[in-house]
Amino acid sequence: MTRMTVQVSRFEPDAGVSARLVPYEVEVHEGARVLHALYAIHEQDPTLAYRYCCGSGQCGSCAVRVNGKPGLACMTPVVDGDVIEPLDLPVVRDLVVDLVPRIERIAALIPGDRAELPDRETVDAMKDRCDCVECGSCISVCPAVAVSDFAGPTAMRQLERLQVDPRDAEDRVVQARDDGLFNCTSCHACYEACPKDIRIMGKAIERLRAEANRRGFTLPRHLEVSDLVRTTGRSVVRTETPLFERIDPVIEPYGPVRGEVAFFVGCMYSMRLPQTALDAIEVLRRNGIRVVVPMEQVCCGSPLIRTGQLDQLPRVMTINRKAFAPYPVVMTMCAGCGATLKNDYEDLPFRVMDINEVLTEFGIEPPAHLSVTVTYHDPCHLLRGQGISEQPRAFIRQVADLVEMPARCCGSGGGVKSGKPEVAAALGELRREAIAATGAEQVVTSCPFCEFHIAGHTDLPVRNITSLLLEAYRKKDEKEAAASTPPSN
Amino acid sequence: MVENGATSSHVLVIGSGGAGVRAAIEAAEHGSVVLLSKTIAGKGGCTPMAEGGYNAVLREEDDPSLHAADTLKGGAYLNDPALVEALVHEAPDRVRELVAWGAVFDVAPGGGVAQRPFGGQQRPRTCYAGDRTGHEMMVTLMDRLAATDVRVVHECAAVELLLDEGRCAGAAALNRDGELGVFLADAVVLATGGGTQVYDISTNSASGTGDGYALGYRAGAELIDMEMVQFHPTGAIQPYDARGRLVTEAVRGEGGRLLNSLGERFMSRYDPERMELSTRDVVARAIATEILEGRGTERGGVWLDVTHLPPEQVEERLPIMLEQFLAYGVDIRKEPMEVAPTAHHIMGGLRITPGCATTVPGLFAAGECSGGVHGANRLGGNALAETQVFGRRAGRSAGLEPERRREVTPAIDRQLGALRRRFDDYLDGEVPPHSVVKRLKLTMWEGAGIFRDHEGLARALAGVEALRNERLRATTRRNLLECCTAENQCLLASLICRAGLLRPECRGAHTRRDPTCELPPDRSPYGHTFLSLASEGIEEVRT
Ligand SMILES: Cc1cc2nc3c(=O)[nH]c(=O)nc-3n(C[C@H](O)[C@H](O)[C@H](O)COP(=O)(O)OP(=O)(O)OC[C@H]3O[C@@H](n4cnc5c(N)ncnc54)[C@H](O)[C@@H]3O)c2cc1C
Ligand code: SF4
Ligand code: SF4
Ligand code: FES
Repeated sequence: MTRMTVQVSRFEPDAGVSARLVPYEVEVHEGARVLHALYAIHEQDPTLAYRYCCGSGQCGSCAVRVNGKPGLACMTPVVDGDVIEPLDLPVVRDLVVDLVPRIERIAALIPGDRAELPDRETVDAMKDRCDCVECGSCISVCPAVAVSDFAGPTAMRQLERLQVDPRDAEDRVVQARDDGLFNCTSCHACYEACPKDIRIMGKAIERLRAEANRRGFTLPRHLEVSDLVRTTGRSVVRTETPLFERIDPVIEPYGPVRGEVAFFVGCMYSMRLPQTALDAIEVLRRNGIRVVVPMEQVCCGSPLIRTGQLDQLPRVMTINRKAFAPYPVVMTMCAGCGATLKNDYEDLPFRVMDINEVLTEFGIEPPAHLSVTVTYHDPCHLLRGQGISEQPRAFIRQVADLVEMPARCCGSGGGVKSGKPEVAAALGELRREAIAATGAEQVVTSCPFCEFHIAGHTDLPVRNITSLLLEAYRKKDEKEAAASTPPSN
Repeated sequence: MVENGATSSHVLVIGSGGAGVRAAIEAAEHGSVVLLSKTIAGKGGCTPMAEGGYNAVLREEDDPSLHAADTLKGGAYLNDPALVEALVHEAPDRVRELVAWGAVFDVAPGGGVAQRPFGGQQRPRTCYAGDRTGHEMMVTLMDRLAATDVRVVHECAAVELLLDEGRCAGAAALNRDGELGVFLADAVVLATGGGTQVYDISTNSASGTGDGYALGYRAGAELIDMEMVQFHPTGAIQPYDARGRLVTEAVRGEGGRLLNSLGERFMSRYDPERMELSTRDVVARAIATEILEGRGTERGGVWLDVTHLPPEQVEERLPIMLEQFLAYGVDIRKEPMEVAPTAHHIMGGLRITPGCATTVPGLFAAGECSGGVHGANRLGGNALAETQVFGRRAGRSAGLEPERRREVTPAIDRQLGALRRRFDDYLDGEVPPHSVVKRLKLTMWEGAGIFRDHEGLARALAGVEALRNERLRATTRRNLLECCTAENQCLLASLICRAGLLRPECRGAHTRRDPTCELPPDRSPYGHTFLSLASEGIEEVRT
């Protein structure tokens, strides 16, 4: 038996006070799960309300937040110091949330004329989406649910499963569209939260959007994007002199060559935020990295995939694959491009690295410390799309004071900013509040979509991490220059 | 439907597992239905946890008469043959119905529902959806339920059946806040599932507390064969808090091997023909014997091994097993599982007719809370089939009951008064329910486990009766239900011990070390044990 202290959120509906964390000291067996700690607490204090039933991950009754992350209490190991809170849904009491209205939004199969089991291929195509235990975790983390009447990730999962099933009589594509299919920002928070590892965005939402595209339901703004890609190879219009017209195809570093990357620039950095890309190139040069920029590269295809417009995809993929084939390491600095190259392209002949990974792997020259307090916004496609969270923080800590805020989608992804601007704006406003709460003076991020969108929802400067690094290098240079010139008296 | 504070409907279904939801769907064809569920509907009970599968004759090579013969033989001929007939003949239609309603079962290579071999069956007859068959059924049934007008009352537990002039006229129930609700109906279907949570080591969900047996018994219904508790041969033993968690029979169905600490495939000593796929009573006793005789693992189990199977087979057919063991650091593709028997299923229950009528007018029962279908030992895969076949039958019978005046009569009012007094007693009781339940579980594991004798059962019964006399305490009204549940568990334990004492033979799952009758099951002079408020005993079929 081990003794440990865990904190549990207690909330009494009629008491007129908000939830508070209460510490409990409990004794549990080796290998105990959160649920077993809750049993022990309930023995001490029978007023604790919590839900459970199967005890083995099969009924979905027991989802709670453990240290901020949703998980099934019966499957999540408990450790000393854990903070156990209800899911971020309306709380009934203590750890019990109002789950039934959410579950009721999950569609039921309506039998049509076909009564037989579909063939093996069809069954295999929907099987993994049948694993859902309706625990509510994904709903509780979904940003689109928080700001719109989006039916939620698991509701979309179910609609896609029904859409594939020949026994179902309803038009699920229309239903999905009406239930907020285009509100999803592709943040992947649902997948991260799902105890059954269901890739709702990739396996359900993108597929439904592709189906919607075939049926002519694609949003007009998304069609424009696809047209742009067709005609220009880029998903955004030119507002500045594009990066490609400002640089040489091979950019040598300042000192000896320590490494080389082929730079996949992406639409945003080439067309909208070229200065940020130039900053990044400066940082790379300074750290001995040769930057090669294959000029034939086009849009990675992410805006097409996320919005279900797949017809041009093979073409852009082929162009990019060919353009980068000669290089062993391809670097992205747009989180969306990086996630797309890593997750949607198959069998690439080169290694794809985000710029944060590149700089971490090569190591960077120590920058000067800027006396500024910043907060870091995790781009969804970097954090969950590529599993990158520590590297950028390590750089930031070298140059500034970092105050954390909870990771949450800013609303710019998944075609939402163009297709459902009101949803994107509402999420942007939530970021405004979160940023303000940190007291930071600047916001740092590492994705052009986030940078661009958040800039519209805060009065603070929003900067790319490499721009921050570059400023710190410049300050360092100034200091060194000042130190080497003799003081005048 | 709420009149004078009471909720009224033509049919009241208690329980939202496979049997209850199927009953509600059927009853809705005949009138208004309320479905009462202790948990969020569809999440409670054992149906969503069922892994292995559903038995039904679907292919030419098989025949209902074979299914019946296997079920009777497996049940040591204690089954009620009329119930077995209903089971084997209707199970196929019920599975086809689930398929029509959208269930995603695994597909056979030639198309149609795939079937795998399960213990004690001459043909591969067990339909499955990976190892989450029950979950898939439950999702499908909840879909269908949503298309009916059934009113679902979530997280509200029946605590007493209400009687009027000897008829069941509804139920009293407690909601999450500890408020008493009254549900009146022309007919009531009890579908509360099983109750092996009276044992220290159990596969059941937290709602497997045997409420239905207790409610039925207190309402005067007759229960049969309550001594017949199935110990599933393979429960997990590690870690401590997950002990008893089911390791599905599908593991052996897929080719898993049982090995003792000497590495011997010991089933060859107990059933050389069927080996690991013998019936559960035989395999459980074999494992228990290996452990008792010192050939178990250090932690008191044996090994169950699938490492010789292709890893893809494990991943595709046993994903839940893989996931659950991985969560505890064991990769079953590479290492064997450590297992020991665990209390799994209650074969006994309310005596029913093939129309699911109990001995109390107006009260019907289906699923694990009823008795007679499985006799002395249940075949894997027959319980899920039972929930559908008898759930539908119970729903239909209840639906066909005539409409009556549904009102809180003086008799009902008196029962509610008694119930309120019981609640008041709990509110100033002394012993927290968890303390009683903990001791109860140990007592039962000790005295009414796999191997039994008169002395042990009598000692267990005495222990249980002593626990029943403790004054349970509810800290707040919201804890009243825990007291009611603990009381039900104690009553169920008492029924199991009493029935165990009544049967002096080894029969199926009931293994007496001191039998006074040693005739083989098919020539046993004994029939069902029976217990009711009025009388208890054992039927003697032949002399
Ligand atoms: C882990 C496990 C695996 C199994 N695998 C298989 C298998 O593969 N094949 C097979 O055939 N059988 C299997 N079984 C057995 C089978 O699952 C059960 O016998 C069957 O599902 C019982 O169904 P049911 O509808 O009678 O009850 P349950 O599914 O147990 O449902 C009972 C319902 O009643 C509710 N309830 C209980 N008390 C009250 C109350 N007082 N008031 C209101 N509601 C109440 C519960 O909330 C629950 O909803 C398995 C059992 C377990 C435990
Ligand atoms: S990807 Fe993000 S926005 Fe989309 S459904 Fe999942 S959680 Fe919601
Ligand atoms: S999709 Fe996953 S997270 Fe969402 S309800 Fe289902 S099991 Fe839970
Ligand atoms: S208690 Fe059923 S999933 Fe945790």
